Amino acid sequence: MGRLADVAVAGVWQTKQGDMSDRTQPSVWWESVRGACADAGLSLGDIDGMVGDGPLEPGLRERMPAPGIAEQLGHPLRFHARSVVGAGSTASGLNLAAYAVSHGLAEVVVIVNAVGGRGAGYTSASRDEAVAAMAKLSGPYEYVFGTTRVSDCAVMAMRHMHDYGTTAEQLAEIAVAQRHGATLHPLSVHGHRGDLTIDEVIGSRLVADPLHLLDCCSINQGGGAIVVTSAASAAALGRHAPVVLLGYGEGHSHIDPNSVEKLTEFPAARLAADTAFGMAGVRRDEIDVAGIGDHFTIGVLMGLEDAGFCGKGEGGAFVSGGGTAIGGRLPTNTSGGFLSFSHAGICGIFTLIEVVEQLRHEAGLRQVADARLGFVSGVGGVQQAFSAAVLGRA
Amino acid sequence: MSDYQKFLPEGIPDSHLPFWDSLREHQARVQRCDDCGTYRYIPKELCPRCHSDRATWTAVSGAGEVYTYTVVRRAPTPAYQADVPYVLAHVTMAEGFRMIARLTGTEPEAVRIGMPVVIGYEDVTPEWTLLAFRPASPAAQPAQTQPAQTQPAQTQPAQTRGEATGS
Repeated sequence: MGRLADVAVAGVWQTKQGDMSDRTQPSVWWESVRGACADAGLSLGDIDGMVGDGPLEPGLRERMPAPGIAEQLGHPLRFHARSVVGAGSTASGLNLAAYAVSHGLAEVVVIVNAVGGRGAGYTSASRDEAVAAMAKLSGPYEYVFGTTRVSDCAVMAMRHMHDYGTTAEQLAEIAVAQRHGATLHPLSVHGHRGDLTIDEVIGSRLVADPLHLLDCCSINQGGGAIVVTSAASAAALGRHAPVVLLGYGEGHSHIDPNSVEKLTEFPAARLAADTAFGMAGVRRDEIDVAGIGDHFTIGVLMGLEDAGFCGKGEGGAFVSGGGTAIGGRLPTNTSGGFLSFSHAGICGIFTLIEVVEQLRHEAGLRQVADARLGFVSGVGGVQQAFSAAVLGRA
Repeated sequence: MSDYQKFLPEGIPDSHLPFWDSLREHQARVQRCDDCGTYRYIPKELCPRCHSDRATWTAVSGAGEVYTYTVVRRAPTPAYQADVPYVLAHVTMAEGFRMIARLTGTEPEAVRIGMPVVIGYEDVTPEWTLLAFRPASPAAQPAQTQPAQTQPAQTQPAQTRGEATGS
């Protein structure tokens, strides 16, 4: 039994991202697992634990997925758990996987996110269907009025601008920086569209004031997985520089947006980050690369503030001049993030995988020079729950 | 019997029904803690301030001011899209809690954070009445007013949005 930091991300995999309606969701799920195992130098037969959701199946098979996975692997699993931080649940699952491995409950744990097929609701390949389904996530005290996920966050941006003078141009800086990363990632959904300018972002149509279309994440399908094992095993496998979890924290504060004091400042995000940094013994200014849940540009700006990378209200200045770009003061969501890389299902896994690839020094043209320490914030709902992880190159 | 095509509340627990009943009566009542007097909006078992589980459904003044807002231009479904652009406001009520609803009776361009508003009601179906806000002061209304979609508290039921728009 040991510490979280004795556990490493040994393998990662991302499938094609985009319209996967010609594939079944279970096939995307298993491709992700197979790919992550191969990346680690492991085989499917090595898996003895899982965190999170399995392939979409009816009834108990979905609610209790590990037995069905074991059935196909041909051997029993020793561990299954779920972390629940909304879209951040896959990234936050790393904590549970690290717990299982460090405490001898399992040796090889997979965390998977997969969206594909002709699924209904918010995993649909149809934008209209996904938008309508996501709108109802807020609950009846909001959706009856015609709220959307965009409007839920637009009200935060509106108040942030009012209180701190944050501008649409500053929010656009985030979209511009991330799009550039996406142009350098062969799997990104929007990279092929090329670089953006600030004028293009603020000139795109308003979806919910003050958020423009290009302030909003993609809606698409795709899969991804990570494999976690002991740092010693990962080093012995020798495929990649092991990436270890140095610190972790969560914060869960409110579900009713009327119940949080301000819609510009989320103490749960601060709580998660303070716990993670405290555990890691790492300072904010030591972080080389970050991944912040970015359903909308305003989420990145407030996420940087709430995680303590700058003061409250200073996010606009922090991101200006390419602050979050590769080569900027804190490269953030360097794959393009949900805005330009992929927003599919429990998409926090993509945030995590990009930081892992950066810390491995395998990010290709997106590589942040000599990245050794990374920070990942997973966001659940609309700033209602947070996970925070400090990762290091072992 | 209703041709109302927008979302109606689903899955409302019985414990929340006094609030929805109060909307149908056009006099919003929310929980007020019996022990510390704090108001809360979406019904809850505990007072977050003092943890008391005793509360009384209490009529609200209906006055508030805009804490923040947005103008929706891309709506969740075609039935809502017919209304765009529409304003969603988070309003700090005089009693100290916030509520979310449409802000009607004003042009989107005229909305400001801090502007005073009052509660109104929309009887969207025979079973369901929804909150709406409208500007408190006539001066805040545009010169060219839209058809009234809300009525102040303590008056007879408003014409429903469904009837008014034929949607």
